[in-house]
Amino acid sequence: MLTTIVQAVVNGLLIGGIYALVSIGVTLIFGVVKIVNFAQGEFVMIGMYISYFLAARFGVDPLISLFVSMPLLFVIGVLLQHFLIRRVLALGDMPQIFLTFALSLLLVNMALLLFTADYRTVQTPYSETAIHLGGLYVPIAKLIAFAVAMMLSGLLGVFLRITDLGKAMRAAAQSRDVAMLMGINPDRVFGIAVGVALALAGAAGSLLMPFYPVYPLVGQVFVLMAFVAVVLGTLGNVTGALLASLMMGVAESLGIQFVGADSGLIVVFAMLLLTLAIRPKGLFGGWSR
Amino acid sequence: MQGALTSRGLWVCALAAAALALPLLISSGFVIDIFIRILLFALIGVAWNLMGGYAKQLSLGHAAYFGLGAYTSTILLIRFGVSPWIGMLAGGAVAMLASLPIGALCFRLRGPYFAIATIAIAQGLMLLFLKFRDFAWGAEGTTIPNLGQAPLMMQFESKAPYYYILLALLAVGLAITWRIERSWMGYYLVAVGEDEDAAEAVGVDSLLIKRNIYLLSAFLTALAGTFYVQYIYFIDPNTAFSFNVSVEAALVSIVGGIGALWGPVIGAVLLEATSALLQSWLGGGHGGVQLSVYSLILITVILWRPSGLIGVLTDAYGRVVRATAAYAQKAPLDG
Repeated sequence: MLTTIVQAVVNGLLIGGIYALVSIGVTLIFGVVKIVNFAQGEFVMIGMYISYFLAARFGVDPLISLFVSMPLLFVIGVLLQHFLIRRVLALGDMPQIFLTFALSLLLVNMALLLFTADYRTVQTPYSETAIHLGGLYVPIAKLIAFAVAMMLSGLLGVFLRITDLGKAMRAAAQSRDVAMLMGINPDRVFGIAVGVALALAGAAGSLLMPFYPVYPLVGQVFVLMAFVAVVLGTLGNVTGALLASLMMGVAESLGIQFVGADSGLIVVFAMLLLTLAIRPKGLFGGWSR
Repeated sequence: MQGALTSRGLWVCALAAAALALPLLISSGFVIDIFIRILLFALIGVAWNLMGGYAKQLSLGHAAYFGLGAYTSTILLIRFGVSPWIGMLAGGAVAMLASLPIGALCFRLRGPYFAIATIAIAQGLMLLFLKFRDFAWGAEGTTIPNLGQAPLMMQFESKAPYYYILLALLAVGLAITWRIERSWMGYYLVAVGEDEDAAEAVGVDSLLIKRNIYLLSAFLTALAGTFYVQYIYFIDPNTAFSFNVSVEAALVSIVGGIGALWGPVIGAVLLEATSALLQSWLGGGHGGVQLSVYSLILITVILWRPSGLIGVLTDAYGRVVRATAAYAQKAPLDG
């Protein structure tokens, strides 16, 4: 019994690392640019397809293709901010919500058109191997994904704390107007924030590829989790999103283990609704300092 | 002003006459089916617009009420033999009841928080209905027994009666919106939509206003849900609580004109006609084309004309009227 619980917690933590990459992206964009990116999951999908095609055509290991998907999605993010998001910043809720929402629809359906609805997988030498630790079963691919995800989250945290650009981002997040008065160029800061967020989504995609199939709607699995996590962790709070993502992963895994195979998401939604009812602003308060 | 009003009334009468005559002029079931889709999404759009357009509560979970309407009437029909006409009203009542706790939970949330919460609730309901295997047929769903021509059971052999049912429901939805637009409630709604805190400060009970409009919006959406299962003779959680329903409800309103009486109708005509054209050009089997085009239209509208296409149409109409008037004034002199 204890082993089952610990195993479920371990499974949850491992997948929670991936949720963290997605939700940190969402919360970073919201914190800095004040827009909820409904298309974040679709950038995970794009990262997965990049890794898939690099593996299928050129035999590149998905972990190596991380170095392709991250920069590529960073550039896409800068362009996205420059050509689309920038234009709706001065407008109300409706254009801000529905622009990225329309983008999400567009990307899913373009993928459906180009790649069909087929599930595609990549086999790596480590896809099937696992470490056995006193009755616990830890798949290597998931362990690597978790470790890299935590490393990237840590790097982002360091970047936000030490570098001038990171400090500028946090300043813009706290008060856009004051930050601009202090000489921070919002367009540049916003572009980099969106770029970094998308690069994280791309990383999530590449890290998932050794153990998760890619298909056009795959992003929605992760974006739903990410939304729950960012609301739980307070929109705009990076540390909050990280902790909440790990919690969501564990909650989902325990739900699957003890309520039923199809009940993981029900547990997650119940947690979201409970949080919204009790603490509508999330568990962790404002922007982390 | 008086002149403008009567000219508007004339336009509405002409449109209504054309809509009523349409099934008499068209015999093709395929074309009637396109018009039924237009009316269906216009109706859902009108319901969404009450919430999203006037009160600016941007719901992305109206499928919850569509599904509750569909399931209520179907469960009553198959388990208890109740006519869908009664089931439709019961579905509306269930949706209204459900909107109370959902609203209580979501109305404190603003903007994106509200949108995310409504998505989660609609998805959660779908997951619940997937689990109700004994009572609501689970993931396999069920077919509605076909009785042939049975008007009392909302079943018809031709498509025209379905068209008229929807036309009547849409007329009801538009009449309700028109009444509300001109009442104190309409002004309160717009005030809440513009700036909730300011509205509260001048004594508008924003929670009460939002709750009332949500009741109406849920009711109308549920009617569409019942209609839809009766029309396609099939129900399962993925159809009834389809995320696409939530999306199209918002889409037709935004593309047509958010917070405008005729906005959802214009949006539904444009989007459904586009999708019908795409289908006849490309045939089936091109999954993704329709929604790709929809989303491009949506992005264009948001960037170019966030108030929707209704503004473009009224501007063009105004220009034509002014040009004709100018010509009519000049003509006697020339002649």
